[in-house]
Amino acid sequence: MLKPWRAAFAAAAGMLICAGTARAATDIDLYFPVPVQGKLVIEIRQLIGEFNKEHPDIHVTAVYTGSYDDTNLKTAAAIKAGDPPAAVIMSANFVRSYEINHLAIPLDPLIEKDGMTPKSFMTEFWPALADNAMVDGHVYGVPFQNSTPLLYYSVDAFKSAGLDPSHPPVTWRDFITDAKKLTVVKNGTVARYGFEMPGTYDYLGWIVSGLAMSDGGQYFNHDYGGEVYYDQPSTLGAVMLLDEMVNKLHVMPPGVTDANAVATAFFTGHAAMMVLSTGALTFVRSNMKSPFKVAFMPYNIHPAAPIGGGSLIIPQGNSPARVAAAWTLIKWLVSPDIAGRWSRFTGYFAPRIAAYDLPEMKSYLAKYPDAAVALAQLKYAVPWFDTFETVAVRKAMENQVQAVLSGRTTPQAAVAAAQAAAEALMKPYVDQTALNIPQ
Amino acid sequence: MTPRPRRQARLLVMLVLTAAALLWAIPFAWMLVASLRPESASAGEIASLIPSGDIGLDNFREAWSEGTFPLWYFNTFLMCAGILAVQCVTVSAAGYAFARLDFPGRTGIFYLFLLQLMLVPPILIVPNLTTIVSLGLYDRLPGVMAPYFASAFGTFLMRQTFRSIPRDYEDAAMLDGARLPQVIWHVLLPLARPGLAAFAIVSVSYHWNEFLWPLIALSSPANQVLTVGLASFTSGAESATEWGVIAAGTLLVAAPLILIFVVFQRRIVSSFVFTGIK
Repeated sequence: MLKPWRAAFAAAAGMLICAGTARAATDIDLYFPVPVQGKLVIEIRQLIGEFNKEHPDIHVTAVYTGSYDDTNLKTAAAIKAGDPPAAVIMSANFVRSYEINHLAIPLDPLIEKDGMTPKSFMTEFWPALADNAMVDGHVYGVPFQNSTPLLYYSVDAFKSAGLDPSHPPVTWRDFITDAKKLTVVKNGTVARYGFEMPGTYDYLGWIVSGLAMSDGGQYFNHDYGGEVYYDQPSTLGAVMLLDEMVNKLHVMPPGVTDANAVATAFFTGHAAMMVLSTGALTFVRSNMKSPFKVAFMPYNIHPAAPIGGGSLIIPQGNSPARVAAAWTLIKWLVSPDIAGRWSRFTGYFAPRIAAYDLPEMKSYLAKYPDAAVALAQLKYAVPWFDTFETVAVRKAMENQVQAVLSGRTTPQAAVAAAQAAAEALMKPYVDQTALNIPQ
Repeated sequence: MTPRPRRQARLLVMLVLTAAALLWAIPFAWMLVASLRPESASAGEIASLIPSGDIGLDNFREAWSEGTFPLWYFNTFLMCAGILAVQCVTVSAAGYAFARLDFPGRTGIFYLFLLQLMLVPPILIVPNLTTIVSLGLYDRLPGVMAPYFASAFGTFLMRQTFRSIPRDYEDAAMLDGARLPQVIWHVLLPLARPGLAAFAIVSVSYHWNEFLWPLIALSSPANQVLTVGLASFTSGAESATEWGVIAAGTLLVAAPLILIFVVFQRRIVSSFVFTGIK
């Protein structure tokens, strides 16, 4: 019981001393979600502690705000209630809706004040990240932690199925062939599935978008928030692939499996291959007892991998002093040194290209070559799904794919229904923008 | 001839109830087993209900060191106690008014009150937050408590409770010269205690477990409550999870409520039977 009072007392005493010696520091807060488990909260508070020490004129409080969706909710509520945080680590694909709803400020003026243009600023980051960070040529988000989906596969399972572990499946044809060989049926029940992937919200939409893009599609209009391409051959093909694997070939379990169950099946040898985020790499490495490797997502038309992860934004409604302080914090967080440290700690890749020139990063990649696969995959990276009402439009598709995975509908009916639902959700925005013809 | 089938029926009911109780207990048993299992346990073992490996308190130690539990307990206790204290006053007063006082529009206003039960709490988040920001209560415990100071459910429950008490008690007290406040305090409230107790249990367990509103209304680490604190080191969006630490943390969060239930089990059950809450 002593602790809170002692902490409060220390804080009060600290403030008195600061007030006495220097002009008051600008107090700002950073909202952050927890995208990977474990000691991340401690790590981020440590980072912020270092920042505060290096910047005596700014005092940052790191505020934990739940999942990406909770963080979105809390941020939007705080902005509407008139007490916005100074900076937020926001799911990178929510940036567009923040721009559309005028909830985030454009960062161009801050960038220009530093003597850069929005374009030259973005060249500091991997090119694939620009689309989710910029809206109509203006920067609204600064990439902080990013991921792509990876194919993880068990070396032992490959060997026992007579496959060469140094040749993971590259195309969908290889993928199906290998998955069939890797599936083991004993006494009428499946002892090992060839492939598993998460079917829960967010993860499912992300992977399906990756499959559609590997099938030659765009999945959604990268330049305009009011269009999705659900009812198109490329997306239909992606859903048909899953339908085939689950309902016809039985090389993938039916129904909706969550990420933890997928990882558990992989660790226990009940799944030979799985798709999970690069953000799970550190976790898989520390839990998988037998050897495993990672590879690109298999493709049908051309390789593609959707970007995932979080960007830093500055919400509307902050005073100029708080905006300036938040910008100093953001620049510090994405500096090569800090970005590299964060990447090594979490398993995400560092969005800042220069992070990989640092010696610590070079020795890390030498030690864990699998961390470089995500980086190599960046060549084929495509933007993350973002539209008007991103979450609802994403779920319109996810609900239908879940129905396909459970054998309750056909891929054709699923994509048609998803398209109709998505268009109904985006209609208000479309009416106000693309269909708003001057009279 | 009759005793045998009756005994068989009883046995059947016992079996069904035991099975239901076991089914209900599985998550708790799993939580306990998982929290004691060493971190090195493979993901396959973690699904098992049978303890394996070197059983120890490492997960509890880790959970305790990753979070500031004493602070979270303190804040959660303050929040629940504060809400309950104010609620007891407001729901008894409102319940009495709806049960006993005659005033124009009583039924209409009561139904209006009940309508509030139909609202999904998340839609009130922004309006409530705007209110507490303008009251200067944002990021302070009173701000988290404020929206719950009145309770439609509590008012309904207390109205029913007061109505089930025969008027004769009040009339007798009145005849003996008691004034209204005295009647309420010395006669009605003691008789309504089971109702209040049932409401207190519902209220405390609801607010103890609530996540979204405290997450929205509080920001500083110094004001954090148990649920938000627990989530801060256990939820992972893009990777799997350390089950042992989660199980240990969840037990730490739930322990006070479980303890209270075990100690006051008989009284809690009788309160619920009295009020008809299930």
